[in-house]
Amino acid sequence: MSERRVVITGAGVVDGHASGVLSRLLDETESRRLSRVCQMTVAAGRLALADAGLTGGPELALVVGTEFGDMVSTIRFVDDYLQRGIPGLSALLFPHTVMNTMAATTAIAVAAKGLSLTLNAPTVAGELAIARAACAVRAGRIEACLAGGADEPPRMVVDTYREVGAGAGAGAGVRGEGAGFVVLESLDAARARGARILGEVVGEAWRALAVRPHGVGRATRSRAIGAALASAGAGPDEIGLVYTSSNGDGPRDEWERVLLDRALAPHRPPQRSLSLPAGRHSGLAARSIATAAAEAGSGLALVHAVARGGNQVAIVVAGSRARAA
Amino acid sequence: MRPVAVTGLGVVSPFGAGVKPYWEGLTGGICGIRPLTLIDTDGFRCRIGAEVPDSIGGSVRRSRADRFALAAAREALDDAGIGRADRADTALIVGAVGGGMLEAEAWYWQRARGAVAPPPRVLASCFPSSHVDVVGSVLGIGGPRETVVTACSSGAASLAMAADLIADGVVSVALAGGVDALTRICFMGFNTLKLLDPSPCRPFDRDRRGMSIGEGAAFVVLENGERARARDARVYAELTGYGMSTDAFHVTSPHPEGEGMIRAMRAALEQARLTPADVGYVNAHGTATPQNDRIEARALREVFGEGGLLVSSTKSMIGHTMAAAGTLEAVATVLALGHEVIPPTARLEHTDPDIAFDCVPRVAREVAVEHAISNSFGFGGQNVTLVFRRTG
Repeated sequence: MSERRVVITGAGVVDGHASGVLSRLLDETESRRLSRVCQMTVAAGRLALADAGLTGGPELALVVGTEFGDMVSTIRFVDDYLQRGIPGLSALLFPHTVMNTMAATTAIAVAAKGLSLTLNAPTVAGELAIARAACAVRAGRIEACLAGGADEPPRMVVDTYREVGAGAGAGAGVRGEGAGFVVLESLDAARARGARILGEVVGEAWRALAVRPHGVGRATRSRAIGAALASAGAGPDEIGLVYTSSNGDGPRDEWERVLLDRALAPHRPPQRSLSLPAGRHSGLAARSIATAAAEAGSGLALVHAVARGGNQVAIVVAGSRARAA
Repeated sequence: MRPVAVTGLGVVSPFGAGVKPYWEGLTGGICGIRPLTLIDTDGFRCRIGAEVPDSIGGSVRRSRADRFALAAAREALDDAGIGRADRADTALIVGAVGGGMLEAEAWYWQRARGAVAPPPRVLASCFPSSHVDVVGSVLGIGGPRETVVTACSSGAASLAMAADLIADGVVSVALAGGVDALTRICFMGFNTLKLLDPSPCRPFDRDRRGMSIGEGAAFVVLENGERARARDARVYAELTGYGMSTDAFHVTSPHPEGEGMIRAMRAALEQARLTPADVGYVNAHGTATPQNDRIEARALREVFGEGGLLVSSTKSMIGHTMAAAGTLEAVATVLALGHEVIPPTARLEHTDPDIAFDCVPRVAREVAVEHAISNSFGFGGQNVTLVFRRTG
């Protein structure tokens, strides 16, 4: 099977602190019945599809990355039981305790009837979802995909992380809330429908670094970046800009810096993170990809993420004027 | 899809640790569903489930689910002969739902009651992604790692995703599987939805009243076929195709006509280049809820027509093991092909007249089948069908 080129034709991000966006994008039933993280996910999905001028159907796939799922509803489900016993249990809340609830509600809202995946990973889930989706489009398994992520960090969990730091085994990085998607399509499909092309995903890879669970490792050789560059047919010196996953978790941020420095040496492109100060959520990966495509111009940008525990993702993005235009 | 070889199997089931007791239990029609001991069931309508026996071992510092995952993953790698040196480039895909929630619940219960709680390391381990980090770190697996959550089809989805990585040439070997331990949330939630039968479940029976929950883990080693042949590996079966679809209909109920299930099965057959007549056995999702069994049977009839297809539900013996179900059932399907024995649907006394198939009631049957499929369907209308071909 010949590989296809993967283009970005739409993007939509809803940050938790944005006001008024949700009410414009959701109908009355969704506003009343969906949990907050599901509302943000549906809204971001609609924004991205509208931006791409695409509608749902049997061919539209959906890949959602998340760190926390709908943990807020899960805690509420448990609290109701602890306060009121068996009569307090809610049949409506229970489905939200399964992490694919955001994908399920979004698939219904936008009629995404193709493959649907929810990928769970700490702090890199959005990038992982976009890389997995790009792979599927490139291989010809799917035509179009909403790919990104969503998070609503539960206050109890974040406060505990903050109180005990690495003692919780998860790092105390700044967590934000929101959802975001890009629309990925094959270049041929996008051209056939006259879609505007925002950029191209020219290479992607994800690998694991040797490190204990939830830990920050000593390994500084990145196979993910090398594999992503190789699949893009690009050298480190062609990368003009790097979007990192820096999130205020000091040891993790330093590890990422060292990994990038070694992988791209002696080249040192400027590095940015969209995580701060609003906090990092899985939807920010979509913003990183879309911004990288916009800023790369006629060059290449690298979107990179590494998590405690060693999950590492690298995505090479070409600006709209580079290859796909 | 280029066929992918299945070269290793590992199981932790309500019959204990290991593929051997699992297969003996299934083909013996033994019921692993009993009164629950792990969690407090007072006041609930259903108080039974299929627990894994206490003999699994492993560090008690790890979550119960992590221990299941480690035991099954280790068995699968050993079975396939994938040593440390090969693992650096091996992919690891885990389907999970509950993560380490059983332990996190215990911590949260204590905290809510004002007791002095232990340090909340359990919080970091409560998410489904914990398993890939633990299994990957302990067993030295350095390729791509992913945790997929598609509810009760997660275990099956993990195999499909792993097969893609092999087909794309990203890796030559992948360890894929599903894991779930029982949790209070799962038990309470399904009770609240009134989907649990107070007696052991009876899939496809006229008098079925709901499902039984269970727990376990299963992993398979998937391998590029040429690589497997080159190293003269034992090949249990080939994964020749899969189909994944989404109902986009309702968060908990399947599409009433089984529209998404039909698309998944047809896509899987198309990928495997098979006609419906080529398939001899279906390991059904078969949860035993009145609605799900009826809709799955309708979808099967639409795809395969009425006739000689054998359909059984191994959930009748091990319950619905949630994220592990898709992989445990894939393993059962692979073993059925290899042993030429179809596991039965236990306690099936009166087949529902709306279910127009031979559901292999109560007793395993010796039948040689060339191609078989395994169906897994989850909340959110997440449908996965896997197709396997017998080898040798």
